[in-house]
Amino acid sequence: MDLMSFMQSMGTNSFPLIAAFFIGLMTALSPCPLATNITAIAYISKKIDNGKHTLITGFVYTLGRMFTYVLLASLIVYVGVNVQAISLFLQTYGERILGPLLIFMGLIMLNLIKLPSLKSGNMINRIKEKLSEKGYWGSFLLGVIFALAFCPFSAVLFFGMLIPLALKYSDAFLIPSVFSFATGLPVIIFAFILTFSVSKLSKVMNKAQIFEKYMRYAIAITFLIVGVYYTWRVWI
Amino acid sequence: MNKKYLYAGIGIAVVLLLVFMLPKYFNGNVTASESKISGEIEKIEVYHFHATRQCYTCKTVGAFSEETVNTYFADELKSGKIVFAHVNIDLPENKALVNKYEAKGSSLLIGVYGKDGSFSKQEDTNVWYKIDNETDFMNYLKGVIEQKFSGI
Repeated sequence: MDLMSFMQSMGTNSFPLIAAFFIGLMTALSPCPLATNITAIAYISKKIDNGKHTLITGFVYTLGRMFTYVLLASLIVYVGVNVQAISLFLQTYGERILGPLLIFMGLIMLNLIKLPSLKSGNMINRIKEKLSEKGYWGSFLLGVIFALAFCPFSAVLFFGMLIPLALKYSDAFLIPSVFSFATGLPVIIFAFILTFSVSKLSKVMNKAQIFEKYMRYAIAITFLIVGVYYTWRVWI
Repeated sequence: MNKKYLYAGIGIAVVLLLVFMLPKYFNGNVTASESKISGEIEKIEVYHFHATRQCYTCKTVGAFSEETVNTYFADELKSGKIVFAHVNIDLPENKALVNKYEAKGSSLLIGVYGKDGSFSKQEDTNVWYKIDNETDFMNYLKGVIEQKFSGI
């Protein structure tokens, strides 16, 4: 049995949670979520001096994705929002906003854009701090936003396969949650690897601070590259 | 201490949810599947819906579907008993069709018209698993369409 047949038999498994998990895995490996997950991995890698922190950030990012997917499924299953309308809307706008947003975030991290400090300057600075420094809200928000970026194929998987499953069992919570967990799994796995390898390495080298500085540039550049990639795909 | 309560709370919530939901999962088929046409078939429409910007997989599904219809249903295609088209959901002139089929983006939808004027449509998501093997894809879709023609 080849890989796709295996994925099909699992993705159409009669037990919906198994099906949801494998549809999620397919999603994690499809082009758009793969790009956003790579960005997320870069983001969570920046505080590698504290392994536990990296791991939690990875989980929080996945929770952010979960929030979006459960919300969308709930709107459809419980509120009765039209699937077609919501799907076409997100495919049209979600992806369009994502690219420029990533570029913007990358530029902030590189300090190339200085957010104006108006009267509410403190608040903006705090948001900036939370996004570019530590803070779990940043990775939660990242998960929320990234999950909203639907590309054609990830939309097929979510709206064409997962939502019918959620509707069939009128479950907009567990089924989307299991799905979300699978879509964030690469990030969690990477966080695990990072926690148990790189953190030790940087301690041994005793150069955590310098390493972090370079990491910050690397992350910002990852944001810019992925942002340009999305912008190029959608707008040009 | 507080964290312990939090974890315990989350744990209990998950267990309760599972206990509540599990019976549902095992009694599948809660809602009836798509209505089927009984009686003679008038016409079958196979539509590959897509957006202006297509992904690689989406293009493949469209191309393989077209080839299946052209290869196995050439006579029906000529006589108009089967219709195949790539439908761009972004174009205003396709809006009526997109709404009729409730296309949610890139998708393969099959519509069946009965001689009594009835109509049923069904999205096929299995095709997405078969794009790495054209023969498999074509055999599968051929089977699906034949089944629709025989009114099963």
